[in-house]
Amino acid sequence: MRRVAHRTRLYSSSVVLTAAAMALAACSSTGSTAGSSGSTSSGANVSGSAFQAQHKGGTLTMLANGGGGTLDPQINYTNTFWQLYQNTYDGLLKFRRGVSGAASEEVVPDLATAMPKVTNSRKTYTFTLRKGIKFSNGSPVTVDDVLATFQRLFKVSSPTAGSWYAQIVGADACLKTPATCTLKGGVVVNPKTNEVQFNLTSPNPEFKYQLAVPFTVILPKSAPAKDAGDTPIPTTGPYKFVSYDPSSELVMVRNPYFHEWSHAAQPQGYPDKMIYKFTLDAEAEVSAVENGSADWMFDPPPADRLNEIGTKYPKQVHINPQLAFWYVPMNVNIPPFNNVKARQAVNWAIDRAAVVSLYGGTKVGSPVCTILPPNFPGHADSCQYTKGGGTTWKAPDVAKAKKLVEESGTKGQQVTIVSQSDSVNKSIGEYLQSVLTEIGYKASLKTLSENIEFTYIQNTKHKVQISLTQWYEDYPAASDFLNVLLGCSDFHPGSDSSVNIAGFCDKSIDAKMQTAEALMGTNPDAGNKMWGQIDQDIMKLAPVAPLFTPNLVDFVSSRVGNYVYSNVFFMNQDQLWVK
Amino acid sequence: MIGFILRRLGSAVLVLFTTSAIAFLIFFATPGIDPAARIAGRGASAQTLAQVRSSFGLDKPLPVQYLLMMKHLFVTRDLNSFVNRGEMVVPQIVQAAPITLSLVIGSAIIAVASSFALGLISALYKGRVVDPIIMTLAVLGISIPVFWLGEVANLITQGTLHHSAFSWVPPLGYTPLTQDPIQWALHLLFPWLTMAVMYVGIYSRVLRAELVAAFNEDFVQAARAKGITERRVVLRHALRCALIPVISLFGLDLGVLVGGAALLTEVVFGLPGVGFLTYQALENVDLSMIMGTTIYAAFFVVLMNALVDILHAKLDPRIRHA
Amino acid sequence: MLANRAALVALIILVIIVLVSLLAPLYASHVAHTNPFTSNVQGSIVVDGKKVDVMQQSATGLGVTPIGPTWHSRYFLGADGQGRDVMARVLYGGRVSLLIGSVSAAICCFVATALGIIAGYMGGLVDGILSRLFDVVWAFPVYLLAICLSIVLLTSTLTIGPISIGSGSLALPIAIISVIYVPYVARPIRAQVKSLRERMFIQAARSVGSSNWRIIRRDVLPNVLPSVIVYFPIMMALNILIAASLSFLGVGVQPPRAAWGTIINDGLPLLYTRPLVSLAPGVMIALTCVALNLLGDSLRDALDPGSKVRVGS
Repeated sequence: MRRVAHRTRLYSSSVVLTAAAMALAACSSTGSTAGSSGSTSSGANVSGSAFQAQHKGGTLTMLANGGGGTLDPQINYTNTFWQLYQNTYDGLLKFRRGVSGAASEEVVPDLATAMPKVTNSRKTYTFTLRKGIKFSNGSPVTVDDVLATFQRLFKVSSPTAGSWYAQIVGADACLKTPATCTLKGGVVVNPKTNEVQFNLTSPNPEFKYQLAVPFTVILPKSAPAKDAGDTPIPTTGPYKFVSYDPSSELVMVRNPYFHEWSHAAQPQGYPDKMIYKFTLDAEAEVSAVENGSADWMFDPPPADRLNEIGTKYPKQVHINPQLAFWYVPMNVNIPPFNNVKARQAVNWAIDRAAVVSLYGGTKVGSPVCTILPPNFPGHADSCQYTKGGGTTWKAPDVAKAKKLVEESGTKGQQVTIVSQSDSVNKSIGEYLQSVLTEIGYKASLKTLSENIEFTYIQNTKHKVQISLTQWYEDYPAASDFLNVLLGCSDFHPGSDSSVNIAGFCDKSIDAKMQTAEALMGTNPDAGNKMWGQIDQDIMKLAPVAPLFTPNLVDFVSSRVGNYVYSNVFFMNQDQLWVK
Repeated sequence: MIGFILRRLGSAVLVLFTTSAIAFLIFFATPGIDPAARIAGRGASAQTLAQVRSSFGLDKPLPVQYLLMMKHLFVTRDLNSFVNRGEMVVPQIVQAAPITLSLVIGSAIIAVASSFALGLISALYKGRVVDPIIMTLAVLGISIPVFWLGEVANLITQGTLHHSAFSWVPPLGYTPLTQDPIQWALHLLFPWLTMAVMYVGIYSRVLRAELVAAFNEDFVQAARAKGITERRVVLRHALRCALIPVISLFGLDLGVLVGGAALLTEVVFGLPGVGFLTYQALENVDLSMIMGTTIYAAFFVVLMNALVDILHAKLDPRIRHA
Repeated sequence: MLANRAALVALIILVIIVLVSLLAPLYASHVAHTNPFTSNVQGSIVVDGKKVDVMQQSATGLGVTPIGPTWHSRYFLGADGQGRDVMARVLYGGRVSLLIGSVSAAICCFVATALGIIAGYMGGLVDGILSRLFDVVWAFPVYLLAICLSIVLLTSTLTIGPISIGSGSLALPIAIISVIYVPYVARPIRAQVKSLRERMFIQAARSVGSSNWRIIRRDVLPNVLPSVIVYFPIMMALNILIAASLSFLGVGVQPPRAAWGTIINDGLPLLYTRPLVSLAPGVMIALTCVALNLLGDSLRDALDPGSKVRVGS
């Protein structure tokens, strides 16, 4: 139903969070897409301009369909809140704020005075904490708070504690018995010099990115050693939480103790107050933004309203490409898709333009043939499955698909497609069902709610033959598409956490991926070239059918100015002008 | 009488227990739904999973888990949601209940008032033109899917006409009574009407049938013979005995509706009541929330059942020994 | 007689609905020239000599709208979100909705009659257990039970002995819907049998030495059968409504099958732009249920005038 939270929240848990197992790493802004390509951004901010006092003040009203659970930044793993934490909390490091495009993918020092000194063959990171910063309850930020924060990460069983932060010395003990977590030797603080030292058991090139996400924002040591739930924890950023009721609203006001210490990491915000309301459905949200009773909606506008807002309010619509793709993993280990011809047939048969139509039109997505999205490092235009050949997708070839199904000997087999149950996913699922029927299978569709589907299709116990899913990546490194989604190391039969959904494990390709990854350290250009080749090698075997790369549609009210879109955490809410 | 009440309450408790046990078993017996994986969040490592499993008691035998859950639900009242970490079940239900109550009570008033009027008119004018017209409308009332009717109401009030004739209708959602009584009523007006339609259909038919039967009873005939006016016969005698079955029906429906059966109406109109909560919990396979809402719902059903039975027994002593 | 006339009208409406549903394949192939189960996102048709896209892309590139009603043989009521012919789908949907309604009503009435007779006739412990069972199913909120079962069965295949019900099977909604209203029919039948049992003629029959089975067949069944017959159309109407509600909640009939409820659900994202997609199947449901309920009323008047069958849930 349109009214139910998950259905319209296309991006909520699947975006940063689908990117689950991965770390936010490798921020070198090589050739990534920059900023808005859509309609005009009044005051598009590319360089991170200085604070404009005349726009300070007012109340920003934001809407989302349903609250996002706990307010605890070390636990909440939803896009809604990761976006909000940018305005409220700070880590030692942070992705650059207040800028659009590739610049927003850069990690900058935030509560730390500078980027860390990396020593001990890349196993020791040393930071110096800034002085004079206070939490919103008035107490100063000390190195003890930093230590407590990292202990708390394990005490509250933060979702990625065991995957991202397991390499910190002492993490083992913390994972076993969280209550007594000390991280002795792992996080060493010196109150005199204000230094914080992290010791790792082995080098982790992604560590600095893992210190720039909300899980490691610095919280006061007085924060409870359990999920704080609806109770706000004091903040360091320009805003603090005043009240939170997951079923109605969240209110933020200026943090009286905030002063701008780094314009790049945590700039001063414009609105005096920010209210996030959770009671409207996406249809009502659109109406509210149209009539100005709200300034922005988190949820993508429903498909039947896109035309209306595009035509009537073109200046209030911002469209930004996402580093992501929607795709169809095919289980290479069970029939019929253990046959390469059957998988190729699916690739030939799907009309990507039709899928883009179902997603919402030519402006909200573009057909793709490769695993690496366009403008992504390593991406090379190539299209092995298009009518008429060439390097970009033009049209499906259903006749060829039928022939391949015939040759594979799988014709007439039962195939069940699994998709999420929201209207967009379901309609693409129904389309796939229609296509599979057309090329000779007995196809049916099974829709599951968003919360269940993503883990359901990963677990080999469920014998999912083919499914529809998305992969949203946050940093431009080819390995995090190819290696994570199709490498042998991410295939765990019988586990809910096995993002290599296709179950694809090709030893020679896996070896090439190791080589390419190693090459990235010495010769990135050659490395990326190799990744592009691997992409094509994989597509020859067709374990997946890439469909399209999506764009994010932000709809803001007419009074809003200074729209800034970060590639990592999306629109900068506190940078909007409402005055 | 006291023995009867005790027996009735005993069986009510039994039903409550069985209902919650069934809900519990359905979800734990389901392969493919690992509550620990859901609580831990996406991409959790095996260690985190094990940690979550033991801290939520999910590694204990099923009966122990059931008891633990009941303890958290009723004794300590700190049962946590399995999907939205940090959200507690009991406060969520407590918060949603007034919304469902507002919806159900308003709708019940409309339904009872209009079905009385329609049932009376129909019975009084039995055999004339109005009777079959009203009765056909009543049949229509019970034949329209409530969610569809709700969507049609939305189409009319929130669609193109929203800019002209229905501009006074607020967008979908809910405003608490304490915050703004007028907005509260405006938000609920169409949900009330939509939900009332089916019950008007049911009650007016039952009432008419009871009235027609009552008119033929000896004492009503006798009252007529004594020369009491038609109107008084209807109001004083026939209506009174026709009322008992309608009231007991109403009692049962009220129990079911307050318990969450208003789900469809709540979903269509975006009212975050108990039904909506239940629906979301089911969608997310949020076991603890499902347990909470199931027991809450069953409680109202059982309570109203028992009340109606006791009321009946009081009015009709024969039932006590049945 | 008014009631008779109403019954006749109801019957005619029902026959027409059943007929057009049965003829759906003919309509699809000979009138609409379409396969209502195939997406047609990129197709176009010729209306009044003009070529029109079935799914119309907006000029801004934001949003795609299906074709509206053409009032011609092709896309008479327009297309749904997949570019499929709504009219043809509504006709096909009728087959599934009527099938689910009638089969589940039959199963429900059969099971309820059997359980009702057993409980009422045996009395004692058996009656106690069955009655509590009815209480439990009754106290379990209908939608909760239905959605619970559906979600569980969707994620895992239900296996009862040799029978395995997959997620796409129609048997799934039918089984669920049959179960939830069993107490609704079984309770009054139990009460009826109980009072029958007390009556003289059965006691007389028993004293002659008839077996229980014989008494049930000869004396009990003929007496409760009229009530069951009256219940059937009413249960069918109720079950069609429940099936539609389940589809609305996304747990009913699964694609590629379409019932009226699923078509309404498919049309909801288009409610404000192409309302007919949702309106048409809703009207069909209402028509069918009105006819069934009128039929039930007339049957009751004719067969079982004393009973107080309650309609609606």
